[in-house]
Amino acid sequence: MAVATLPHGATAGHADHGEVDQLYVETRALRLQGFLLFLISDCVLFSSFIFAYLYMRNSGQSWPPPGINHLDVAFAALNSVVLFGSGATMHYALENWKHNNFGRYAFFMIATIVLGILFLSGQAYEYTNLYFKEHVSWAGSGIFGASFFTLTGMHGFHVTVGVIYLTVLFLQSVHGVYTKDKYFGLTAGTLYWHFVDVIWVALFTIFYLI
Amino acid sequence: MVEHRTSAVTLGRGFWTATAVFAVLSALAIWFWTTTPLDIILPPVAAEPGAQIDSLLRFMAACGSALFIFVAGYIVYFAIAFRVRKDDAPDAIGVQVHDNHKLEFWWTIIPTAFVVLLSILSVRIWYGIQIAQPANGLTVEALGHQWYYTFRYPQIHGEITDEMHVPVNQPVVLNVTSADVIHSFWVPAFRLKADMVPGLINTIRFTPTKVGRYPIVCTEFCGTRHGEMDAEIPTENGKPNPGAQYFVVDTPANFEKWYHGWQVKNANASDALPTVSTGAISLAGGDAKAGGALFAQKCSACHAVGPFSQRIVGPGLKGVLHDPAHPNLVDGDPATPENVAKILQNGYKGDIGVMPNEAANGLSDKDIANLVAYLSSLK
Amino acid sequence: MSTTVEHAGGIADHIHPEPQGFIRRYVFSLDHKIIGIQYLITGFVFLVLAGLLAEVIRTQLLHANGGFVSNDTYNEVYTMHGSAMVWLVIIPLITGGFGNIIMPLQIGARDVAFPWLNMLSFWIFPVAGLMLFSSFLIGAPVAGWTEYPPMSLQAGPGTSMWAAAIFLVGVSSTLTGINFVVTMFQMRAPGMTFTRMPLFCWAQLATAPLLMIATTALAAALAALFMERQFGVPFFDPTKGGSPLMWQHMFWFYSHPAVYIMILPAFGMISEIIPTFSRKPIFGYKMIAFSSMAIALAGMMVWAHHMFTSGLAPYLQLPFMILTFTIAIPTGVKIFSWVATLWGGKIHYTTSMLFALGFLALFTLGGITGVFLAAVPFDLHVHGTYFVVAHFHYVLVGGSLMGVFAGMYYYFPKMTGRLMSEKLGKWHFWLFFIGFNGTFLPQHWLGMLGMPRRVPVYDPQFQFWNDVSTFGSYVMTFSILLFFINVLVSIRNGKKSGPNPWGARTLEWQIPSPPHYYNFKNIPTVYGLPYDFSQPLPYKGLEEELTDSPVHVGAH
Ligand code: HEA
Ligand code: HEA
Ligand code: HEC
Ligand code: CUA
Ligand SMILES: [Cu+2]
Repeated sequence: MAVATLPHGATAGHADHGEVDQLYVETRALRLQGFLLFLISDCVLFSSFIFAYLYMRNSGQSWPPPGINHLDVAFAALNSVVLFGSGATMHYALENWKHNNFGRYAFFMIATIVLGILFLSGQAYEYTNLYFKEHVSWAGSGIFGASFFTLTGMHGFHVTVGVIYLTVLFLQSVHGVYTKDKYFGLTAGTLYWHFVDVIWVALFTIFYLI
Repeated sequence: MVEHRTSAVTLGRGFWTATAVFAVLSALAIWFWTTTPLDIILPPVAAEPGAQIDSLLRFMAACGSALFIFVAGYIVYFAIAFRVRKDDAPDAIGVQVHDNHKLEFWWTIIPTAFVVLLSILSVRIWYGIQIAQPANGLTVEALGHQWYYTFRYPQIHGEITDEMHVPVNQPVVLNVTSADVIHSFWVPAFRLKADMVPGLINTIRFTPTKVGRYPIVCTEFCGTRHGEMDAEIPTENGKPNPGAQYFVVDTPANFEKWYHGWQVKNANASDALPTVSTGAISLAGGDAKAGGALFAQKCSACHAVGPFSQRIVGPGLKGVLHDPAHPNLVDGDPATPENVAKILQNGYKGDIGVMPNEAANGLSDKDIANLVAYLSSLK
Repeated sequence: MSTTVEHAGGIADHIHPEPQGFIRRYVFSLDHKIIGIQYLITGFVFLVLAGLLAEVIRTQLLHANGGFVSNDTYNEVYTMHGSAMVWLVIIPLITGGFGNIIMPLQIGARDVAFPWLNMLSFWIFPVAGLMLFSSFLIGAPVAGWTEYPPMSLQAGPGTSMWAAAIFLVGVSSTLTGINFVVTMFQMRAPGMTFTRMPLFCWAQLATAPLLMIATTALAAALAALFMERQFGVPFFDPTKGGSPLMWQHMFWFYSHPAVYIMILPAFGMISEIIPTFSRKPIFGYKMIAFSSMAIALAGMMVWAHHMFTSGLAPYLQLPFMILTFTIAIPTGVKIFSWVATLWGGKIHYTTSMLFALGFLALFTLGGITGVFLAAVPFDLHVHGTYFVVAHFHYVLVGGSLMGVFAGMYYYFPKMTGRLMSEKLGKWHFWLFFIGFNGTFLPQHWLGMLGMPRRVPVYDPQFQFWNDVSTFGSYVMTFSILLFFINVLVSIRNGKKSGPNPWGARTLEWQIPSPPHYYNFKNIPTVYGLPYDFSQPLPYKGLEEELTDSPVHVGAH
């Protein structure tokens, strides 16, 4: 709103962009806010399952539940590093875009996507291991199996969506959909990717550390 | 700043008259709630902390009525006194007040004070009910079933299936839980209830003070015949329904008689969940395929091939032998093929219902071996 | 004041031509006003269905031993009645319906922030509604709208359908919440600061976070229930290590805030109607706006008052009890402010005002019994009885539904350009008021005397008051029939209303009825609160609205 009430003079710095840019500035503000609110809702979805897991874990059952051995913390930590690494590359991708450095942008963007796929592969490996070696399953291992596979599965689903999303963004940017000044899609992609990282911090803590 | 005509604001005689009328009406309501017996809206109280709950209700109802009389009274009075009249100009407007900080202060503070008072009172009564009741009385256990209750007493073997008896004036510690879904144990005359949640034991403590028979009512939805878990519900032909169970407060002498009667009657009942020993069946050479066919024929009416929780009459049997979350069978024995065979042979009556034995199901030893082979092939 | 200031070339000036063709205009419309009306129509259709289910309930309870429908059918009926009334009637009517139609007009916007998303939110809703009702075909859910496991794990396949349908309604609500927040934050007309925003918008602003946050928590619970039922994933089944109480926490963490989703927007409408028909500024504007926020915030922290008997640790009961009590304070501030607004007014008895006054009285009574329930000792007696049923119908029917009726009589001219019949309207009000009290007042003592809820048969000693209740509900049904007749007749034959039949002062009444596609020819500038009847209107730039001049776009 603040922007809309400004008289023309106040946006003089961008005067050369004319009216269309005013529209862009305002729509960007709308979309950014909408997107953040969406992420907040999504965060509540994860929080509910996390709350459920912690609640049941603490409500007097023996822990860890019978039949469940330890998780492979070392491997998961390695996989986490992959994911956090992709957060860093994503950050650099956006920065380079802002500085008009297309080559490095492309490098970091592809790196992010590759790291994301690597993380997913790691998760797939972990799942098969758990299922076939440790006999931990979604429906057959009590609240632990239920929470672990639901939460990490939801997270994995988000990463998958993210990988697809970033790929689309990358193709779009190659085709010149975004410019130096108008790149809201890339901002949203970055926010989303960082969000997925942050959720993983919480999941890693509750399942592997405590 | 906008200038408004607040100077003309005065309350006038009508207002004070109306206020006086509301005050009198409120006083009458308070008098009513604090003095009349509450028989028309509550069953007569028959246990110790029940009376405290009634006194809390009296307090809340008195204050609530007074509050409601004032709010509704002013609405009606203002609506009449400030209606547009015939001789008003069509664009006549009301007195332009925007707010009045003093008034707003008081109508925030007074409810706040009331809330504080109510909190103190409720916490005290809560303490009387939840904490200060005698901890060592007669300890009784009640189990909810679809759709009846059973009871367990300290020196009676097994379960009691008709009514619950306790002696008058002796503290009772009642532990409740459930064998299937959530039920609730409510005796309206005691004012107390606790939900019967499977896997959880809830406790209520009280002292019955009046000899009598009090209906037990289930207040948590538990399936088709939830409504009939109310002792006062007659069946179609006027007879008491089978789930009708009363809470009977006896004189000590009568209670002794009843108690002793059940001790004798249940002398041989087992406290443990019943298990029957059996001659072993040879499971070698069981044919899973034949077992599957047999299962579809004889078992699927009561069992799904799904997870344990997926009940038809009996539990789902998919994980019966291989599910780490299901290490033991319903009879408490470890989930091994031999023990499953034992259940098929002897049947089993547990919390969920009755699993027929081999005679009732028409099974030969070979059939049982095939069925067990089939069940072990489910994963 | 140069008009160029408002025409900076932003969203406000970015107008697409009005689409032609029936489908784009009325079916897959992007226009918030049309979408709002779509919500209203769909919501009212579901009101009829859910209301008829209520009459099945009451007819069954005419006799102590039932006999109208079977036990299982009865259980399906009240489950669907409760679920449909909450998720398919009140929430969509009051947020999607009135929120969409009124809020953008009141803040001087041309539409909501994301029109396309708005259309999506709407279309999810009838689909979910049909899904919910079609579960009757495969064995509807039986365990009440609260669907406590393990009962809901045992029940027929309709329960999974129920979970999926409610999940979808939740998605729709969440999207609407996001849309409304962004609209109110970003798209207010110049000069429309938050402290000048009409109270209906404040109410929607307080509701939106509940829609976004609480609803998502419900989505998690529903997903878990669905996974447990369909794939055996053990969340709630105690025999497999789950916890039935977990569901109750997750469900009420949503459903207590949900009751404020259902009442806050009604509060908002009352805050518009009472000043208009009293010809007075609303008393205590700031306190009313602020208390909506306080209620929404506190409402997120009291959910366990539904679980006092279910095995919450005794010491945990106390904070929930006391926090619940405190909600009475901001609510009281509202009630007292509305009553004070009446004082010294020039009160016009339109049907809308009658419903608003009825709302004040009945909601107060329902709120007071709510405070009774919040007191743990008393709740131990009446939890799960008809006392609770009486409480929530006083707040939901006497509150939310009456608010919806008040809003309909008030905003109908704005939507259609025609007035509803006042004569039929008054019959509707009085029959409804009498029928309502006849139905639900006796349920208070039925509950205290010992009648549990969700039962198809009951102790014969309760027969008399149940009969009173049932006859009351028939009167209420008849009155609602009058309402529908009134709507249908008035759409075609009602008196022409003109732009502002009530002499109201908020922005939506300063433009034609029904408004143009683009709402405002010029986006107005706002200089003050809308409620000062002694002052000129605090808007500039509206001169052309009621003339034939074309829409003004940009300062080229
Ligand atoms: C619109 C919906 C709505 C609203 C607004 C409310 C408002 C309130 N509700 Fe209600 N409630 C429901 C809908 C609603 N409720 C439903 C649907 C259920 C049952 C669900 C189910 O089990 O199926 C329920 C159940 C329910 C219970 C659980 C009962 C049980 O199952 O055992 C409780 C307990 O605390 C409760 C309390 C309250 C309180 C304290 C308020 C407060 O917000 C009320 C505040 C208002 C006032 C108090 C009146 C005005 C105030 C004054 C005039 C000021 C002065 C007053 C005082 C200081 C007291 N409600
Ligand atoms: C907003 C919510 C809302 C509304 C408006 C209502 C409205 C009504 N409710 Fe309901 N009710 C609930 C929410 C609501 N209810 C909930 C949440 C439950 C709990 C469910 C559970 O336990 O799980 C419940 C439960 C409930 C019960 C308890 C059932 C039980 O526990 O066994 C009863 C019993 O009397 C009842 C009655 C009524 C009645 C008579 C109305 C009346 O006000 C209805 C009036 C409306 C109509 C009758 C529609 C009439 C219209 C027509 C007839 C028009 C015909 C016209 C054409 C065809 C054009 N309701
Ligand atoms: C009349 C219904 C009925 C029929 C028919 C029936 N069962 Fe059962 N069964 C039950 C019930 C009820 C139980 C659970 C008993 C309890 O715990 O109270 C049960 C329990 C069992 C169990 C133990 C499950 C566990 O997890 O420990 C096995 C194994 C079993 N049944 C196998 C069979 C097989 C094989 C057949 C077919 C020959 C069969 N049942 C037929 C009702 C039935
Ligand atoms: Cu048992 Cu309801
Ligand atoms: Cu609540």
